[in-house]
Amino acid sequence: MTTLTTKLAGPTRRAFGAAAVAAAMIASLGASGAAAQSVEHPEGFNPDEWVIVASVINTTNPYMISNIEGAEAISEALGIPLEIVNSNNSSQTSISSIYAILASGKKPIMFVNTVASSDAPTIVEAVKQAGGYVTIWWNKPDEYKPQNVGDNFVAFQKHTGVDSGRCGAQALAEALSGEGNVILLPGVQDSTTSKTRVAGFKAEIAENYPGITILEERPSNWDPQLGGRNARDLIVKYGDQIDGVWSADDGMQIGAMQSFENAGLLDQVKFASDGLYPKTLEDIISGRGNNAIVGETFHRGYMASAIGLYTAYLAASGQIVPSELEDNKRESFFKLSCVTPANYEQYLQYDAEGAPAEFVSRLIENGPWDTEPVPLVGGGVEVLPES
Amino acid sequence: MTSVMHEDGPRGAAGMKRNGNASMRRLIAEGAKGPIGLVAALVVLIVVFSFLNPRFASIENLQNVLFQVSVPLILVVGATLVIQMGSIDLSVEGIMGAAGMAWILLSPNTRTMIDLGMWAWLIALGLGLSLGLMTGVIYAKLKVPSFVVSLGTWYVGLGIAILLYGNNSLPSLTSDALARWPTGLTLGLPHSFWLAAGVLLFGLLISNYTNLGRGLMAIGNNEPIARTSGMPVNVYKIGAFAIAGLLGGLAGILATMQLGSGSTDIGFGQLFVGIPAAVIGGTALGGGEGGMTRSALGVFLLIILNNGLVLAGVDPDYQSGVFGLILLIAIIAVAWPERGRLKVAK
Repeated sequence: MTTLTTKLAGPTRRAFGAAAVAAAMIASLGASGAAAQSVEHPEGFNPDEWVIVASVINTTNPYMISNIEGAEAISEALGIPLEIVNSNNSSQTSISSIYAILASGKKPIMFVNTVASSDAPTIVEAVKQAGGYVTIWWNKPDEYKPQNVGDNFVAFQKHTGVDSGRCGAQALAEALSGEGNVILLPGVQDSTTSKTRVAGFKAEIAENYPGITILEERPSNWDPQLGGRNARDLIVKYGDQIDGVWSADDGMQIGAMQSFENAGLLDQVKFASDGLYPKTLEDIISGRGNNAIVGETFHRGYMASAIGLYTAYLAASGQIVPSELEDNKRESFFKLSCVTPANYEQYLQYDAEGAPAEFVSRLIENGPWDTEPVPLVGGGVEVLPES
Repeated sequence: MTSVMHEDGPRGAAGMKRNGNASMRRLIAEGAKGPIGLVAALVVLIVVFSFLNPRFASIENLQNVLFQVSVPLILVVGATLVIQMGSIDLSVEGIMGAAGMAWILLSPNTRTMIDLGMWAWLIALGLGLSLGLMTGVIYAKLKVPSFVVSLGTWYVGLGIAILLYGNNSLPSLTSDALARWPTGLTLGLPHSFWLAAGVLLFGLLISNYTNLGRGLMAIGNNEPIARTSGMPVNVYKIGAFAIAGLLGGLAGILATMQLGSGSTDIGFGQLFVGIPAAVIGGTALGGGEGGMTRSALGVFLLIILNNGLVLAGVDPDYQSGVFGLILLIAIIAVAWPERGRLKVAK
C-alpha cells in the first residue's frame, strides 16, 4: 500500500507543484492594477463592479499592440482595471476567453476587434447576459445592428475601407501623372476590410484615372513575406512594366518594397498602402527608393480601442443611452486621413511618447465623436462602389 | 537493415516477389518509388507552366524560385529527420520567430544600437538549438507525445519573440550588405539557395552516413527492436529535435534577412510547407521511410506550383482550388505504383 501511495503521490505532487507554479505565473501576469484615475465617475457608478476588457486578434501585429496601448490608457484614466483577451487569430479562443472573464463576476466594459464577422453576435449576447456594454470594431455581419440588439451592444465602429482604397489610388495615380500600370496586393481575400479597400481603389481608378491599368491582383493574406513572394513572382511576370504597387496594408508593402529593391527596381516604382506603420514613416522621411512611397492613410489602433471603450463606458455609467443616439453613432465611420510625403509631418505627434494618454485626455474632454484626428464622419453599412 | 538504411527506404519487396509481367511492373514501381516519379511530376509542371508563360522558364524566374525555396528547404531537412523517427515537430514557426527577432535585434538595425556581428548569429542559432533541445528532452525523457511538446515549444518560441519585440516599432536591417546577401548571386544562383543547399548536404550526410541518421530510421521502423539492440534511442531522439531547432533558428535568420525587417510572425505558414513537402516526397508520417532528396523535391513541387500559377495568371479566386487539385493529381500519380505499401492508409 505504501508503495502504491508513494507511486500515486509522486506524480500527483508534481502535478500540483506545476499547477501552483502556473497559477502563480498567471496571477502575476494578470495583476494589472488600475493606476492614477483622472475622471470623476457619475453618482451611482461604482468602478469596483466593472472591468475593462480589450479583445484583440493577436499580440504580434503592430496595430493590435496599439489597440492594447489605447485600452491601457483608458483604463488608467478611468481607474478601472484592464483585462486583455488575446484571440491568437482564433474565433474560438476569443469567445472562450471572453466567457472566462465574464464568469469572474465583474461587469465588462468591452472593446472587441473581432477575428471574424460572425463572432460578433455570440460575443454581444454573452456581454448582454453579464450586464456589460460592448463596442465592436471593424467586423460584424451587415444585418446585425446595435439598434436591433439593445443598449448593451453600444456601437459598431470602423474606418471605411473604401476611403482607404480611394486615398491610395489618388496618391498612386497622381504620382504616375495618370498614366501607368499597377499591381494590387489585397489582404485575406474574403476579409471585409480588404474587400472594401480594394473596391475603393478600383472605383477611384475607374472613375478618375482612365490611364491607369491594373495589371493583376494577388491576395497576400496581410503577410509581409507572402507580399514579398507575390511581388517577386509579378516582377518576373511583368518586369519593368510595373509602375506602381498598392497594398491593402503596410505589412505587405514592406515585403513588396524589399522585393522591388532586391530586383533593382525600387527607384522606378511608386507605392501606396494603408496604416502608416512606423517603418513606413521612416521610409517616407528618408525618401527610400527615390521617394518610393507616395500615399498612405492615417489611423491608429490606440485611437480605435480608446474610442470604443470610452463609448461603452459612457453607456455603462449612464451618461449616454445608446437607444436614444442617432443611427450613425451606433454604426459609425470615423475619419481616415490621406497621408502623402507633403503632409506626413502633421501626424508625427500621434506617435510621440505618451501619445495614447494625450489622445485619451482629449477624448474624455470632447467625447467619442469629436476628437481629432479621428472624428465621426458618417455611419451605416459601408456600401461597395461599382467599378 | 541495409534496406532500412537506404536513403529512399526499403526497396526490394515490391518488385522481387512478383512474377509473370512483374519485370515491367517492377520497373514502373522502382522508378516511381524513387525520386524519379517526383522529378517526372516536376518536369511535367515545368513544361506546362513554360508553355503557359515563357517567362516561367527564364533565368530570372529560376533565381526567383531558388530564392523562395531556400527557407522551406532548410526547414524540411529538420522536419524529415524528425518524421523519419515517427515523430512530428510543430514548433518551427515559434522557433523562427524567436531566432529571427533575436538575430535582428543584435545585428545593425533601426531599433537597437547593437551590432554583435557573428555573436548575433551564434546567440540566435543557440536559441533555436535550445528550444529544439527542450522539445527533445521533454519528449524523450518525460515520454510526452512530440505533437504536444512541440506545440508547446511553438508558443514558447512565439512568446520569446513577442517579449523581444515589445511594444516598439518593427526593427529593420540597416546594413545593406546583410539585407542584400540573400539575393546576391554566386555562380548565377542566389546566396540564400547556396546556404539551403549546404544544409541539405548536411542533412544528407547525417541521414546516410552517421549512426544518428541510421538510428532515426530504425526508431521509425521499430522502436522496441532499436532499443533492445542497444541503440541510444533517447539520445538520437533528442539529437533530431536539436538539429530541427537549430535549422529552425537558421531559417528564421534567413527569412528575416530576406524580408529586411524583423517580425514575430516571420515563420507564418512555414509549418504547412515543411511537413507536407516531406510527406509528399514520400516520408511516411509513421516513420521509417523517406529521405532528404525526396523531401527537397517535395519543397520544389510546392513552390514551383505556386509560382507557376501566378505566372500563368490563374485568377486568385481559383488559385487555392487549382493548387490543391494539381497537387492531388501529382501526388496520386507519384504514389500510385506503391499504393499497396503506403503506411498511412486510413
